[in-house]
Amino acid sequence: MTGSRQPLVHSAVDDAGSVTRRDFLRVIGSGVAVAGLGACIEPPRERILPYTARPPEITPGIATYYATTMTLGGFGTGLVVECREGRPTKVEGNQHHPASLGAAGVFEQASVLELYDPDRVRTPRQRGGVGGWDAFVSDFALTPASGGTEQGRGLHFLLEPTASPLTLSLIDRIRALHPAVGFTFYSPLAFTGAMEGARAAFGRPLQPIYDLSRAAVIVSLDADVLDAHPFCLRYARQFADGRRLRTRRDGMNRLYVVESAFTTTGGMADHRLALRAGDVADVATALLAATATPEEVRPLIPLLSRAQSEGPATSWVRAAAADLRAARGQSVVIAGAEQPAAVHAIANALNAILGSIGTTVRFIEPLLPAEAPEHALTALAAAIDARAVDKLIILGGNPSCTAPADLRFSERIRNVRSKAYLGLYHNETALDCSWVLPGLHYLESWGDARACDGTASFVQPLIRPLYDGRSVDEVLAVCGGLPTTSAHALVRELWSTQPDFQALWARSLERGVIENTASPPVSAALDWAGVLPVLAAERQRAARDSIEVTFRLDPKTLDGRFANNPWLQELPHPITKLTWGNAALLGPETAKRLGIETGDEVSIAFGGGRISIPAIVVPGHAESSITLPLGYGRSGEERVARDVGVNVYPIRTRGAPFIIPDAVVRGVKTGSSEPLATTQGHFTMEGRAIAREGTLAAYRADPRTIVPPHEIAPSLYEPVAQSGDQWAMTIDLSVCTGCSACVIACQAENNIPVVGREGVLKRREMHWLRIDRYYTGPAENPRVISQPMACQHCEKAPCEYVCPVNATVHSPDGLNEMVYNRCVGTRFCSNNCPYKVRRFNWFDYSFGVPAVLWMQRNPDVTVRERGVMEKCTYCVQRIRRAGIQAATERRALRDGEVVTACQQACPTRAITFGSLDDVDSEVSRSRRQERSYAVLGELGTEPRTRYLARIFNPSPDLTV
Amino acid sequence: MPALFPKWSDSLLRACFVAFVVSAVALPTFAMIWVRTPFVSGKGDPVRQPIEFDHRHHVADDAIDCRYCHDLAERSRYAGVPPTSRCLNCHNQIWNDSPLLATVWTSYFRDEPIPWVRVHRLPDFVYFDHSIHVNKGVGCESCHGRVDRMARVYQVAPLSMSWCLDCHRSPERHLRPLDAITAMGWRPPRPQEEFGRTLRTLYGVREITHCSACHR
Repeated sequence: MTGSRQPLVHSAVDDAGSVTRRDFLRVIGSGVAVAGLGACIEPPRERILPYTARPPEITPGIATYYATTMTLGGFGTGLVVECREGRPTKVEGNQHHPASLGAAGVFEQASVLELYDPDRVRTPRQRGGVGGWDAFVSDFALTPASGGTEQGRGLHFLLEPTASPLTLSLIDRIRALHPAVGFTFYSPLAFTGAMEGARAAFGRPLQPIYDLSRAAVIVSLDADVLDAHPFCLRYARQFADGRRLRTRRDGMNRLYVVESAFTTTGGMADHRLALRAGDVADVATALLAATATPEEVRPLIPLLSRAQSEGPATSWVRAAAADLRAARGQSVVIAGAEQPAAVHAIANALNAILGSIGTTVRFIEPLLPAEAPEHALTALAAAIDARAVDKLIILGGNPSCTAPADLRFSERIRNVRSKAYLGLYHNETALDCSWVLPGLHYLESWGDARACDGTASFVQPLIRPLYDGRSVDEVLAVCGGLPTTSAHALVRELWSTQPDFQALWARSLERGVIENTASPPVSAALDWAGVLPVLAAERQRAARDSIEVTFRLDPKTLDGRFANNPWLQELPHPITKLTWGNAALLGPETAKRLGIETGDEVSIAFGGGRISIPAIVVPGHAESSITLPLGYGRSGEERVARDVGVNVYPIRTRGAPFIIPDAVVRGVKTGSSEPLATTQGHFTMEGRAIAREGTLAAYRADPRTIVPPHEIAPSLYEPVAQSGDQWAMTIDLSVCTGCSACVIACQAENNIPVVGREGVLKRREMHWLRIDRYYTGPAENPRVISQPMACQHCEKAPCEYVCPVNATVHSPDGLNEMVYNRCVGTRFCSNNCPYKVRRFNWFDYSFGVPAVLWMQRNPDVTVRERGVMEKCTYCVQRIRRAGIQAATERRALRDGEVVTACQQACPTRAITFGSLDDVDSEVSRSRRQERSYAVLGELGTEPRTRYLARIFNPSPDLTV
Repeated sequence: MPALFPKWSDSLLRACFVAFVVSAVALPTFAMIWVRTPFVSGKGDPVRQPIEFDHRHHVADDAIDCRYCHDLAERSRYAGVPPTSRCLNCHNQIWNDSPLLATVWTSYFRDEPIPWVRVHRLPDFVYFDHSIHVNKGVGCESCHGRVDRMARVYQVAPLSMSWCLDCHRSPERHLRPLDAITAMGWRPPRPQEEFGRTLRTLYGVREITHCSACHR
């Protein structure tokens, strides 16, 4: 600011020491005068820019929906994406797709923000050279000429493992043309334990597919199938369907979980055993010994005979074994992805012995490479060292960050003469490469994918590429010297061999699945000969007393690929409720042993690396075990991801990619110098029954023990006038896993801003829907109960009585309305809300963001300004849209016609929404269940959101 | 001791007090009246458009239904400003060499939209929906006036919230049969209040005055 241009401001403000009262008043006064003048100037008239020729599929003002597929970890999940005048704004599940069944998880929901990320790579560029695709192609691509064995030597592709038929066919075609071209598949999301386990048990690598809807007993050996599996949305739904109570007589499945860290699957367990991940193999062996008769496991008897000492593991194993035996053919044992082959082999053996193969589990030919990704990358490193690679094209992923530390991959690829990286971000790998190429987001590209069970579907773009990007398939085709180079042409060419292709193309794009493409089940016969060696090898491990360290994909950033997504960064971790960062998770005893508390640091050294990371003490975490979430401490050029959390990859090596049995762990007392941004620091309900729970037996015997009747004090307030539909919501805590898909869905639908780490530390997070997590049960082995909490739409709403400007009022259809334009920001309502669900805009969170992010905003919802309150509206924009639709068609609203964003996303269908005016509506029926209750109902707020108490189904043989 | 101030300064002081009290009331009142004047609401101000499109001619002389161009009014929030191609449905035959249509041709062949100037502007926090109004018997004329008499279209209604609520509180005063939605200068066969009440029952028109009906 120069003095000559702004004399007024200069005189008063620049010399801060000599500001006189007069100067101050003069500045303020002139400011007010100018502001007043501004009010007299008529705002310029807006322009309306209609289409020159309107595309027939677009009706301005009406959303269109297209089916597409998002690929993650090599497998596709079918989605339906909402599009507003050509802008994708919201991701929903596709009910026809086997991996979605109508639901969408946090990554799918948040992926729409990734599309508009301002940090995306925009143009192909060469470090210190010319840019442009043509220059890249002339540098790297093979010519389409006949080839020969020598052509292509030195060219190497590094991809993420994928089941996409198109990508795999392109690779086959390139290999056929140029056999010398190398391909390597690497991703921390690829796990090969299951295939190794199948190789041991059945003689060849196979991929298991479970059917939890037919399982009465489910045993998870460190498997987070409800939240961290390519099929988790489907499994969560099937699991929930197996324990959804409509009456007291309904049956429930029973879930046994043994795991080290608390996962959402562990949180749903009827019996959870917290154990070091490295000891799961012992429990699995004991389970096999206890379940099978000696005849069934005769070859194994010498291995199984180790005496078991009495302990929680023993009783857990005994109860699980008894249940498994009783539910022959209706049970399933699932081994965790990070577990070694031996555990998978035992799970396979148990499933075979119990007759589950063919009922609750089937096997298909593997869709991903069976070679361990770390192993594949080692081979590539060796090739680089041997100077056999002089052109390396990295298609997606981020190996410079995620490769095992002992490979020193980042340094190695710098030795390659030419290297190119295709991806969305200027991440660590992009910084190591000479060429950086803009990749395409799945919402911009054509392609195809296979779901975990082999079902194929097309990837269909909803928007023209925002930048000058190319898809993985296109770059493969161009660089491999194949003639057709547009992904659209390539995918059509591949599938055009199918009979009646035109009809198949049209139908598959509309439905989002290509019918009858699921892999056929293959027979799998148990062969002990293969199981014995892996089991024996597992036995060789000496009993350990050291503290083990395990790596987990983070439930919000996975391996770090979503670290630049602010929605996911600010999403509270399902168990720790930590946002904007990661922390080492450990049990209370271990923390005591290391002499630390939550907020202190642990220092871990292994394989030549050392990290220091804040710790969070988690009740129910296995003792002598530390869990490190991957995916933070990123050092690329992504502005959101950079330096958030701690990078734990430096101690992750090829030899121990998931479990380090013997790292050097040291506790460091740091106090709370770097406070952790958690949204809920509190573990318990302090004796109040906020999230109610009880056993199935107790519920059947007397539901009043779980939901006791309570008296409501007489109210002084007039009841509000009611007319028409009466909106209400029911949330079934029995099937809510706490996966948080609803939180992101709400954020996407309702234009909810993020506040950043500092904001969370000041308790200013804006989520309209949060998930409260409570620990119940015994302190040494607690249960977790997750309770989604949003505006309860009280009929006698405490917020309404205290608002001095009538900014929150009641509608005749039972909504607690928030009128932003009346709100003056007194925050009385928030202080008077017993549920603490109202959020205040301390700043203009939504207005300072780059313009490209505006494209994601839902045009049906106001973007709130600084100084106003906001909260869940029951997705009133959806209610009104459906109401208008019904009214123009001259009919009443049907039950299930209004679907809220949270309800739509929920994988387990825990949320029911509808009108109480219709006594037969699903929500009315759910409220008649004996386990239906209102949170803090004794206050007389009469909330419209009711909860169904969590019922769990413990074994009668075990105490809980 | 002589008075420091002359006698009249007492009167001045009193006058100042009175002026202060009066202005404390008058200034906000003035501001509130001011925002409701046509000067701010834009009412009655014929808007110059990039093309001298004459509604009088198209509506009155040619008797083209409103919905031919504003085709979304029955099914979308927006009535829809017609795409350029719509103009050319007729004008590729009629007056196709008129210099007045040069902008239209340019727009069509360059694929650049015609920058029409907005006449009716609602604040961003208002979610007005054309389809429900049109389907419940609110005619175009009720809000937009006699467009068939406008050379340049101007805003007839103040588009203030109280104006919306006038109708929302007693819709019968503005209802007409669905087959007369786009008619200009329509007269009720019976007294409007009585006829409107019949239509109100027939079309199931409710008095909707809660906030979230329009503000979300």
